[in-house]
Amino acid sequence: MNRRGFLATASGAVLAAPFLTRTTLAAEPRVRLRELYNNDMSFTEFATENEGIRVAIEGFMAPPLKADSSFYVLTNRPMAVCPFCSDAAEWPNDILAVYAQRVVNVIPFNVKIITRGTLSLGTYTDPELGFVSRVRLMDAVQERA
Amino acid sequence: MFRRTFTSTLAVALCASTAMAQDLPQANSEYFTAAQELLAERIAAENNTRPAKNVILFVADGMGVGTNYGIRLFEGQQQGMLGEEHNLPHDLFRHSALIKTYNINAQTPDSAPTAGAMNTGAKQVFNTINLDETAVFDDCSSEQPLALFSEMMSDAGRSVGFVASPSVAHATPAAVYARTANRNWFHDAPEGCRDIATQLVDQMEAGVIDVALGGGARDFAGEGVAVEKGTGRRPDGQNLLERIAGLDVQYVFDAETLAASDRSQPVIGLFANADMAYEHDRPDTEPSLTDMTIAAIEHLSTNEEGYYLMVEAGRVDHALHGGNAYRAFEDGVQFAEAIRAAQEMVDEDTLIIVTADHEHVISFQGYCGRGSSVVGLCMDISDDQIEHSGEPVLAADGLPYTVVTFGNGAGSVLIEQEDGTYSGSRPELTQEEVTDPDYLQQALIPMTSETHSGVDVALWATGPWAHLFGGTMDQETIFHVMHHAVFGAQDAAQ
Repeated sequence: MNRRGFLATASGAVLAAPFLTRTTLAAEPRVRLRELYNNDMSFTEFATENEGIRVAIEGFMAPPLKADSSFYVLTNRPMAVCPFCSDAAEWPNDILAVYAQRVVNVIPFNVKIITRGTLSLGTYTDPELGFVSRVRLMDAVQERA
Repeated sequence: MFRRTFTSTLAVALCASTAMAQDLPQANSEYFTAAQELLAERIAAENNTRPAKNVILFVADGMGVGTNYGIRLFEGQQQGMLGEEHNLPHDLFRHSALIKTYNINAQTPDSAPTAGAMNTGAKQVFNTINLDETAVFDDCSSEQPLALFSEMMSDAGRSVGFVASPSVAHATPAAVYARTANRNWFHDAPEGCRDIATQLVDQMEAGVIDVALGGGARDFAGEGVAVEKGTGRRPDGQNLLERIAGLDVQYVFDAETLAASDRSQPVIGLFANADMAYEHDRPDTEPSLTDMTIAAIEHLSTNEEGYYLMVEAGRVDHALHGGNAYRAFEDGVQFAEAIRAAQEMVDEDTLIIVTADHEHVISFQGYCGRGSSVVGLCMDISDDQIEHSGEPVLAADGLPYTVVTFGNGAGSVLIEQEDGTYSGSRPELTQEEVTDPDYLQQALIPMTSETHSGVDVALWATGPWAHLFGGTMDQETIFHVMHHAVFGAQDAAQ
């Protein structure tokens, strides 16, 4: 079994789906983060059709807002922190909030990852962090791509 | 002495160039004949010494000579050419110069004092705007304000405007109207200091700024207050849009309202919460840089006395900071479109200057064959055709590489490890992967954001007194040429 299969199966145990096979995982819809949004920031057909379903999204883990958290933000490109950009204090529009199953082991911001979780659409404000998101992955697990 | 002698000798030679060309074996080369045609144009050309009625300063933020080259190939390849033979509109301007960009206290400059130098004629301190050389960053008690070209134009009865793809309070547009000890005081400043957005409204109230188009809606409303295209971030709670409404200044917020605005009245357009979208990501409802440039010229042209317009393609710089050549070049193409649009709208009374504020650490690899995609892999030079061979050139590690790389940034091949050290190697690359608009080209030094560099940038100019540019000049010379073209030449004519 390769590393990806091992990690997915291991996470599957926590998902109460302990007997997931690689064949099952391969059927899981997998897209890049940008395929959730249109240019006008409306949701794509893929996003609306897969709401409530487990999907795999490729992206990059932004530096976490707080340590030892199960929450992080997935970005479409590495979250370069430009000191001279006027949006330095702003998140890009095309992000995905991720609520992982466990406290996240931080992966460097410029390493591509795959996050698997249940797609949730609609504006939501995190009661603890105050973070407002339009789209989320719940019960997520992540690995390097 | 040598130069003068050489020039004289050359002039004699040029008179006989047609006859000379007919005798040479290369006379039928299309490259040779094109160069002969250009030569004839240059010999016949006369300098434009009439007073400038209008000045348009185009600044592509971070577009050094290398990035300009990348944009040229990118646009040419988009149009079906190999790319190298293409010319951007300003490539064809008759006058050019290399521009030194350092700040008073920085070898590697930032966009605030560089834009300030263009607008005041004097070098400035890193991260400050339009203050004298005694300025201390982040300390507004040290502010000794400089006089601005915009104010001189306004005092002379001319109109002033700017177009910018970042926030209207961002460094480059701010240098047209503001003075600040900290370029980041977009909507917030320490007690006793004045934030930049407030200064813009001050200058609109004073009648200095007539047209302001860009992003930055967040900078004009109180924290959490919903406005068109964004949410306010001002901790002082002020709603500057209400103040603007009392000034008979039109407020527009999308392509439709911009198109419908009354060209005879001042206007402010805030089309995004912070920065406007990269051209690649721009929704149809948001005006392009070209749309804004055309609208600005239409507004400003209603003043028969003339105008000063600054146009900034600010997101070229942001894409480069992100290590993403594709978006930098695509925004550069939009910049070129804006220049073309302006050229069609003005006449010989308008001085047009195209330049950048600073360079980046972008570099271009070799040896690539003709037509290698400038956002793709470096393809080998063919022995039997003009276009590249279709085979990637391999580095010493046996792997292909892209035409564009960066000296540092988020695309670094050195990745942070769990123990905090950095290590890595170059991965195998495919053409499909590297030509994706989201691809970050490989970089060497790991940094969270790719950096500027201190290397000279280019300047191109056309119109009245454009011939004053030449050689290698300090950035502040731009102000002096603009000022002479408008006021010096006017005085001489009277």
